[in-house]
Amino acid sequence: MSNEKQNHVMVDDLTKVFSDKKRKKIVAVDKIRFEAQPGEIFGLLGVNGAGKTTTLRMLATMLTPSQGDAVVCGYSIRKQPQEVRRRIGFMSTATSLYGRLSAKEMVTYFGRLHAMSAAAIEQRIAKLFALLDMEEFADRRCDKLSTGMKQKVSIVRTVLHDPDVMIFDEPTSGLDVLTSRTIKRFVLDCKSRGKCVLFSTHNMSEVENLCDRVGVIHAGRMLACEPIEVLRSRTPGKRVEDAFVSLVGETS
Amino acid sequence: MKPNPIVTVFRKELKDVLRDRRTLIFMLLMPTVAIPLLMLIMTEVMTHFGEKMAREKSEVLIINSEEAPGLKKLLERQTSLFVQAQKVLRLLESRGFTQDELSMTKGDPEAFKRLAAKKGIELDEMVGQLRDVLGTPDGDLSGMQLVSQAFKPNIVLTTKLDAALGDVTDPGSKEKVLLEAIRTNAISAAVELEEKTEERISDLGSAKIKIYYLDTSERSSLAQKSLISMFRSAGREIVERRIADKKLPVTFASPFEVTGKQLPGPGVIEKILSMILPYLILVFAFLGAMYPAIDLGAGEKERGTLETLLVAPVSRFSIVVGKYLVVLTAALVSATLATLSLAVSFHVGIFSAISMLSVGSFSFSSGEAVVAMLMVLPVGCIFAALLLTLSIFAKSFKEGQSYAAPMQFVLVLPAFVSFIPGIELDWITSSIPVVNVSLALREIFIGNLDQHAIHLIGIFGSTSLVAGLLIWVAVRWFQREQVLFRN
Repeated sequence: MSNEKQNHVMVDDLTKVFSDKKRKKIVAVDKIRFEAQPGEIFGLLGVNGAGKTTTLRMLATMLTPSQGDAVVCGYSIRKQPQEVRRRIGFMSTATSLYGRLSAKEMVTYFGRLHAMSAAAIEQRIAKLFALLDMEEFADRRCDKLSTGMKQKVSIVRTVLHDPDVMIFDEPTSGLDVLTSRTIKRFVLDCKSRGKCVLFSTHNMSEVENLCDRVGVIHAGRMLACEPIEVLRSRTPGKRVEDAFVSLVGETS
Repeated sequence: MKPNPIVTVFRKELKDVLRDRRTLIFMLLMPTVAIPLLMLIMTEVMTHFGEKMAREKSEVLIINSEEAPGLKKLLERQTSLFVQAQKVLRLLESRGFTQDELSMTKGDPEAFKRLAAKKGIELDEMVGQLRDVLGTPDGDLSGMQLVSQAFKPNIVLTTKLDAALGDVTDPGSKEKVLLEAIRTNAISAAVELEEKTEERISDLGSAKIKIYYLDTSERSSLAQKSLISMFRSAGREIVERRIADKKLPVTFASPFEVTGKQLPGPGVIEKILSMILPYLILVFAFLGAMYPAIDLGAGEKERGTLETLLVAPVSRFSIVVGKYLVVLTAALVSATLATLSLAVSFHVGIFSAISMLSVGSFSFSSGEAVVAMLMVLPVGCIFAALLLTLSIFAKSFKEGQSYAAPMQFVLVLPAFVSFIPGIELDWITSSIPVVNVSLALREIFIGNLDQHAIHLIGIFGSTSLVAGLLIWVAVRWFQREQVLFRN
């Protein structure tokens, strides 16, 4: 791996097959390939069940690919999953907080899991909590926090170890306007700091507002992978939604 | 120095479960408070009802009483001892003995002496007072027997049955009538005298006495036992009279003088406790481990924190081992607390009534305690591994609980062998996990472990093997995505 490609993600024929006892084999992700660069937000757009979450879970090394591989920050998700996990920040609506720990304890725990020194953890927490205006509830238990506060704790948990690659799996689904704005601002901030950002959603306007390049995924397959402008120009109205429908409609 | 991820996970999970009320209740509160409370209530209830039963009047019907007016008088004198017993009891109570304590000493003079010593009551002086009440000069033993008499059924003899119940003189319906009379508590038992009973006795013969009673009625079977002992002592009086008439030595009819002496080894209480304790300890090891296990596996899935944890750069091995050690700690803490709380209760004397009965006090040396804890360790390993494995598989806390309930039955049932007297520690039983530890704990509490030292090999060998295997399964299980993401 060359140095300038350290912070990027390269997905190569990634495939995931789930075997179900009753039904037969389900191909959740079918030979997906794409690349994402530092300082870029790559959007994965698709309906529920399209394979977005499975793809991102494989990239975060929670699931092992059935076929294919991906290189994240220069490490194979198959062969060096732990090295990959060291360098990514992963956030989804499913990554909840430990309710019985305080905001600070929660974040400290993950700092320790990242093998950060106590001093480094302390320093990062002080900085990030101040930045996100979190000092007031730093010692409050996570299950006593509002949704917005919880999201902030999650953000700090994700970036505490200063990862190079950020993976967001539908981070705004189910959140109110204000909270999802916090998240979106955070995503853009990651980009401006030169991180490689992967972002999955089924929300067209989010794609339009945030993403530089988009992969349209449907029934496990990548139907298109192109810059947002190219995607928009697929239909006369220049709207992502129309482009998406026309792409998906072609297959179904 | 980099902290070991296992230690990091362990510390966090321990903190986490210790903030969970359910875990605290099952791990800390139940063993420390519930066990002594349960035992206390049990002994209190048992003494209370036993005594209440004994204080009630118990009517006994004498059938054919006209056949032996003299014998009836003799029996009545036996029952009138009850009145004296009441006087003795009152005296004892005035000296600071409670009725509960006295009832626990039963007829055992040694237990009575221990009780008196414990209370700091001067016995010699009191025995003198007892003699005054009784008007008999024969030693303290008869006084003690009177105390125990006070707790035998208060037998009242009667010669007539309520006419409404039927006619007992009719041989055809006699048993039916008596059964009905006992069932309705009109009488507790009936004594049937043979024809010419009086003559047979005075002719140096023997008379047949038949006692009618009902085994399933506690009152009736107690009355039957009292009647037997009443006839025995009445018989002794008659024999003594006969011997005196013939001018034979007093020992004529009693060639043997048999007494039993319990050696100062483990007594009845040790035996009972050695049966109950292993079971309790193992049950609490399980209960203590149950909630943390469910919480750390299924609970993590249910609350959606599993994914958060899985993206952290630690191996799944470290995560599962860290969690496992917390569950194991909970099992051991709970079992230790259960043992300690019982030991302390005995020491402080919550069960003074029980400890009075035993020769010496129930205790075990610190060496034995260490071996006992060492023994609980591999069983705790097995419990923790199985519970955690199930919990990792379960999707929700509820599902986890529904697996743990039958598991409790399967795992704790073998611990029940400590209640079965016939099953001993041998090469076979020492190689069956849980069963072996239950039996070994029994031997420890009865002070017999040195006899079974050789079986420790089988115990530790087999349990460690099974525990190791199960831990391996738990670790493998945690690495399977079909188990972790079971949607």
